[in-house]
Amino acid sequence: MDKMDKKGNIISVKNLNFSYNHNQVLHNLSFDIGRGDFISILGPNGAGKSTLVNLASKVLENYRGRIEIDGKDIRKLGSRDVAKMVAVVPQYTNPGFNFTVSEMIMMGRHSYISRFGMEKEEDYSAVNLAMEKTETLSFANRKYSELSGGEKQRVIIAQALAQDSPILLLDEPTSHLDINFQIEFINIFLSLNRKEGKTIIGIFHDINLAIQNSQKMMLLKDGRIFNFGIPESIISRESIKRVFGSDVFVGKNPVTQKLYVSPIFTPDIYGGTPDIKPNKYLKVHVIGGGGAASPVVNLLNGRGYEVSCGVINTLDTDVDTAQMLGISYVTEAPFSPISLDSQNKNLEFIKSSDVVILPGVEFGYGNFPNLLSVKEAVRLNKKVIVIDEKCIRERDHTDGRAGKLYQKIIKSGAVVVKSVNQILLHL
Amino acid sequence: MIMVTRARILKHIFIMLLILILLIIAAASIGAAKISLKDTGLILASFIPGLNHFIDTSRLDPQDIVIISQIRLPRIFLSIFVGMALAAAGVIFQGLFRNPMADPFVIGVSAGAALGATIGLVFITGVGLLGISTTAVFALVGALGTTFLVYSIAKTRGKVSVVTLLLSGIALSAMLSAITYFIMIFKVNDIAKVIFWIMGGLTSASWNRFIIMAPLVTVLVVISGFFMRDLNIISLGDKRAVQLGVQTEKVKKIMLVMASFIAAVAVSVSGIIGFVGLITPHILRLIVGPDHKILYPTSAIAGGIVLLMSDTLARTILMPREIPVGIITSIIGVPFFLYLLVRSKKQIF
Repeated sequence: MDKMDKKGNIISVKNLNFSYNHNQVLHNLSFDIGRGDFISILGPNGAGKSTLVNLASKVLENYRGRIEIDGKDIRKLGSRDVAKMVAVVPQYTNPGFNFTVSEMIMMGRHSYISRFGMEKEEDYSAVNLAMEKTETLSFANRKYSELSGGEKQRVIIAQALAQDSPILLLDEPTSHLDINFQIEFINIFLSLNRKEGKTIIGIFHDINLAIQNSQKMMLLKDGRIFNFGIPESIISRESIKRVFGSDVFVGKNPVTQKLYVSPIFTPDIYGGTPDIKPNKYLKVHVIGGGGAASPVVNLLNGRGYEVSCGVINTLDTDVDTAQMLGISYVTEAPFSPISLDSQNKNLEFIKSSDVVILPGVEFGYGNFPNLLSVKEAVRLNKKVIVIDEKCIRERDHTDGRAGKLYQKIIKSGAVVVKSVNQILLHL
Repeated sequence: MIMVTRARILKHIFIMLLILILLIIAAASIGAAKISLKDTGLILASFIPGLNHFIDTSRLDPQDIVIISQIRLPRIFLSIFVGMALAAAGVIFQGLFRNPMADPFVIGVSAGAALGATIGLVFITGVGLLGISTTAVFALVGALGTTFLVYSIAKTRGKVSVVTLLLSGIALSAMLSAITYFIMIFKVNDIAKVIFWIMGGLTSASWNRFIIMAPLVTVLVVISGFFMRDLNIISLGDKRAVQLGVQTEKVKKIMLVMASFIAAVAVSVSGIIGFVGLITPHILRLIVGPDHKILYPTSAIAGGIVLLMSDTLARTILMPREIPVGIITSIIGVPFFLYLLVRSKKQIF
C-alpha cells in the first residue's frame, strides 16, 4: 500500500474540510494526484481554489481531514520540509525592499540554508540553474522593481524553481499577462513537467489554456469537487453552465484536436436594446444566409426566445452560430441551391412558429425559395418582421424577381423595422 | 552574480570598525581637559592586554589617564552600545513592518520608558541596586510593560497583525504620555529633571552602567542577527514567506520581542534619543543595499559611530555646557540624511 503510494500518488487528500470565520470553504474533499501529472483546478471566484493551494503549501492550517505529500502527513512536516516539496508560483510578489533579481531568487533556497550558515556552492548552482531555465541570467543584477511585468514573473518562477521541489503549485501565475507571455510561461511549465517530471497543479484563469495543457482537470464549485478527470470527460456545455453559470460553446480545436470553450455573449453588443421582457412562449423562426441571421438569432436566444433558423448552407456563418447556441436549423449542402426537401422542412418550422423574421439576407436564385417561404408565412397569418436595414435593390441578384416578391411581402402586412434591436418592440 | 557573501559582509564590517576605532581615539582626546591625540593613543593602547608591556606610561600625566579611563571611555563605550542598540532595533522594526517610518520606539517603548522614568524620578528617591539608578530600572519596566501590552492587543488567534500593532502602539503611547504630563502637573518642581531625562543623554555614564547594559545588548543583537535572512523574505509578505519555508509567525514574534527588548535597554540607560534608530538604517541602505544580512551588522556599527560622534559634539561644542545628545542627533543628523536622500535620488524603500 505504502509502496503503491510512492509510485503513484504524490499528493493525497482525504476528507478535507476547512472553515474560515465560521464559513465552511471546503467540504469534504478527497482526491489523489499522481506523480508527474499536470493538473488544473477550475472554478468560479470563491470556489475554494486558492484555499486549496494555501492548505497544500501550509499557509493555512486548522483544517479537518488529511493532506499527504509524498506519503507524509503535512501536519507533521515543518515549513522548511514543505517548502522543499511544494513550491508556489504566485500571481504577484511585492518585495518591501529594493532587492536585486539574484537576491530575490536566492530567497527560494531559504529552506536549504542553515540559520547559522551562509549560502553554499549548491545554492548558487541551484539559483543559476533556475535563472537559465527562466532566462533571467541577463538581468541577474538589476533591481526587481525596475523590471517589466513579464520579467518580474520570470523572476517569481525562478524563485520557485530554486526551491528544487517535485511539486509546483501555480496560483494564477499568468492571468495578468499578455497572451504571448502566457504562452511563453506555459511552455516553461510544460517543459518542467515533461522533461523533469515535476508535478504541476495550476489554477488558470483561462479555461482553454488549462484544457490544452492538463492531463486532468478538477472543477470546483462552492468548495466541493464537481468533477475531476480528463478534460474530455468533464468539460461540457452543461458542466460549465452548472459550475460557472455561463453559457458557452464547447467545440474542438481543429489544429490541436483538443476541446475549446468559447463564451456565448448575450449582452447588448448591438447597441442599446429596448428593455423589454421576453415572452418565453413565443417561437421565432429566422431566415438565414450569409451570416445575416446571426445577430438576430443571438439576440433572441439571449433573451430567452425559442429560436430556429433556415434554410442555411453548411459552412455559412449562420450555421456556426446555430451550432454554438444549440438551436434547431435547416441546412443545405454547401454552395447548393435550396432543394425542395429543405424548403419543406423550413416550412414545417415556419408553421410551428409564432413569428418569422427576415433579416437583410442577400438573395440569388439559389436561396430564392427562402423568400417564397416568407410569403407563405404571410399567407399562413404568421407575424412576419422584415429587417430593412439595407435596400433590397442592393441585395437582389435575381434581376428584380426577389425585389418584387419582397415588396409584395411588405404590402401584404409584414412589419418593417430598420434595425435588429427594433424587432424586440414587435414581439 | 553579485551576492552578499561572507567576504562582502566582513569587508564592510572591517572598514566600519576601523572608522569606529579612529573615532574612539579622537573622541577620547577631545574635551574640557586638553589631551593630545598622541597621548590619548598611548593611554588607550596601555589598556590593551599584551600591548601594555611595550608602552611607557611614566611620562604621561596620571590625571589624564584617570580622565580618559574613568570619565571619557565609559561614556564613549556607552554611546557606542546605545547607538548600536537603537540602529539594530530600527533595522528590525523597519524590516518587520515594511515601513520606512518605523523606529525603535514605534510600538510604544519610548512612552512607556518615559512614564516609568517619571515615576522613578518623582516618587522614588535613593539609589537603586547594583549601581543602576532606580530611574533606569523603572524606565526598563515601563518600556517592556508597554511593549507587552501592545503585543497582547495586536495578537489575535496566534497571529500578529502589523497594522493593529502600529495603531495600538500609537494609541497607547498617547495615553502613557498623557499620564506622564498629568504627573508633571502635580510635581512641578521635578519638571526639569523629567524633561532632561526625556531629551536623552549620556551624562551619567559609568563603567557600572556599561558592564550591565553592554553584554545584554550584545547578546540580544547577535541572536537577532541570525534571523536576517528570514527578515528579507518576510518583506515579501507573510504568506509568500511561509511558501518559501519561513516560520513567519514565530520569527515575527521573536523579532518583535528582541527588538523591543534591545530598544528598552538602550532607552533605560540613555533616555529617548531620537533619529539614530530611524535614520542610520536608511543611510546604510543607500550604501550597502537592502539585504538585511549586510544591512543589519553595518547599521549596528554605524549606529555606534553616529551616536559617538553626536555625543562628542554634545559635550564639546558649547563647553563647558552640555547639550542633550538627542538635540544633536536631530539637528545634524536630519539635514545630513535629507542631503543623502536628495543626492541619491534613489528609491530607498
